[in-house]
Amino acid sequence: MSELSTLARPYAEAVFKIAVESKSTPDWSEMLKFLSLVMQDKEMIAIVANPKVSQEQLTALILEICQDQLKEQSINFVKLLVQNDRLILAPQISDLFEAYKAEHEGYVDVELTSAYALSKDEQKKFATTLKKQLRKDVKITTSIDKSLIGGFVAKAGDKVIDGSVIGQLQQLAKKL
Amino acid sequence: MQLNPSEISDLIKKKIENFDVSVEAHTEGSVVSITDGIITVHGLSEAMQGEMLEFPDNTFGMALNLERDSVGVVMLGAYQHITEGDTVKCTGKILEVPVGEALLGRVVDSLGNPIDGKGTINTTEASPVEKIAPGVIARQSVDQPVQLGLKSIDSMIPVGRGQRELIIGDRQTGKTAIAIDAIINQKGTGVKCIYVAIGQKRSSIANVVRKLEEHDALAHTIIVSASASEAAALQFIAPYTGCSMGEFFRDKGEDALIIYDDLTKQAWAYRQMSLLLRRPPGREAYPGDVFYIHSRLLERASRINAEEVEKLTNGKVKGKTGSLTALPIIETQGGDVSAFVPTNVISITDGQIFLESDLFNSGIRPAVNAGLSVSRVGGAAQTKIIKKLGGGIRLDLAQYRELAAFAQFASDLDESTRKQIERGQRVTELMKQDQYSPMSVAEMGVSLHAANEGFLDDLEVAKVRDFEAALQSYMKSEEADLMKTINDTGDYSDEIKKGIQSAIEAFIKTSSW
Repeated sequence: MSELSTLARPYAEAVFKIAVESKSTPDWSEMLKFLSLVMQDKEMIAIVANPKVSQEQLTALILEICQDQLKEQSINFVKLLVQNDRLILAPQISDLFEAYKAEHEGYVDVELTSAYALSKDEQKKFATTLKKQLRKDVKITTSIDKSLIGGFVAKAGDKVIDGSVIGQLQQLAKKL
Repeated sequence: MQLNPSEISDLIKKKIENFDVSVEAHTEGSVVSITDGIITVHGLSEAMQGEMLEFPDNTFGMALNLERDSVGVVMLGAYQHITEGDTVKCTGKILEVPVGEALLGRVVDSLGNPIDGKGTINTTEASPVEKIAPGVIARQSVDQPVQLGLKSIDSMIPVGRGQRELIIGDRQTGKTAIAIDAIINQKGTGVKCIYVAIGQKRSSIANVVRKLEEHDALAHTIIVSASASEAAALQFIAPYTGCSMGEFFRDKGEDALIIYDDLTKQAWAYRQMSLLLRRPPGREAYPGDVFYIHSRLLERASRINAEEVEKLTNGKVKGKTGSLTALPIIETQGGDVSAFVPTNVISITDGQIFLESDLFNSGIRPAVNAGLSVSRVGGAAQTKIIKKLGGGIRLDLAQYRELAAFAQFASDLDESTRKQIERGQRVTELMKQDQYSPMSVAEMGVSLHAANEGFLDDLEVAKVRDFEAALQSYMKSEEADLMKTINDTGDYSDEIKKGIQSAIEAFIKTSSW
């Protein structure tokens, strides 16, 4: 997993630069998401890995699947991926692209997990405190996990802010 | 000791009351792959080199390879319960071990946990395992001796406080025996000892502990044990752990002696880790920094001056220097000192004690090869009496070595050559010493004086050791005052010289052996 994202990074970086220059980040984002969905299909993976399928055939197939999802530059991008045999990296490229986009636009994606559902007000409060804490705008996606018992866990990338009861119990257990 | 149940619950109550409920912020990652004690973790973008990482179930690893998207971690202990996808937390701490007086007399593992079944160790301080060695300004030259208690070593290859003296030799040549004798001889001198056992059999370590206990030498000793069955990472960090424990004494103005038994196995453990971490192999498949792991370790053995001690103790200890003397051990294969690790460590240390299987097998124990063994700084630290008398011994043995080949033509040799050979044979015999019987400065002085003044020349070679034993017991009973003066002053004044001379003459007249 980690090696795949290392390989995907230069592609994501290049695509992102193009997207920023042509001011078409949302389009690129959509297209990469679509491509990554396509590449997560089992049959697709098998076809890509099949040495009997020539590069021309593969390009034609993908272009047909994507059809109007692709613009001129993105067609070139797909061709390049096929040529370099890196089509399989599409999901990682898409993830990294989203990360670059978030960084560029100055926000972080925060996964907020709580034991009970949060009201709109509470979400707002969390958003403002997290904004202060992380010094960036936050985009919150919420989920509910009863095993936390109480409190919340906020995840932004690999940073974790643990304010859950279960986390505190674990801390206490360690201290004893 | 009986534990009072209410006392325990009280303690727990107190702990719970004082428990600070805080929101914990940390960096997390997830396990990608697990191979032979090496774990690849995705994420952990803020991990530090050498940081402790927390795995599920209170197990820890050390971050060694920091890459763009992943971190290579070596596990410190069992890792069987860890599975792919487990979360790994940064602790924000570099690996630390407990240090302090409370560790004396105890056997601990590489992380400082007691493994001798004598209960918890009440230490208050902790120290990072990897520390930078004292700087140039903080140091002082070596000018006090560490008596190892062995005639052949103290007279010819003296070790000073703060020196690094390598003990090198094949297997079964008595390397560990020298180290153990050195520890036993520090009894009552105030020198604290640390014995680091790396990659040894558990039975050998238990043996060492038992021998030290028998000779009442465990009380001033810390044993750090990373046996062959423990994880490579633990074997790798054990010397650094021991060194941190020794530095605690050095930094508060005391003297400590540390023995790394042996660094060959540490290099093996490091080679294993490095190969599994996919670092490029070099000569003998060791990684590129195998020299540095030993040089940075041995550089920490040093003597620091009084100002530095005052600074480190915040002015509590004044006018005292501190020292950490290191006796690293290296095992060679078939006497090959030009292999990679032996040459490295030879070049780092301030001299070596070279042990040989041939000597060992011909009954010369300790099997020190006087020609190849050197001490580059110890001479400045020798006590006066040993220094004066030791010079003669060294010369006798050097001349003997040159002529030894001709010994079988004894009848055809001229008088002076024959005499030199005979003297050499007797001195060689005198240099033999039993295990676990270290000698004091005075005892050594008397033996060396007897050899220098030719008292051994008329003896049969086989009788030399009997003569010595009888002489020592005579001196102990009849000349206790003289012996005490020598031990206290370490001098070899005319008065003392005459005292020893007349005592030996009296002994020869009155005793038999």
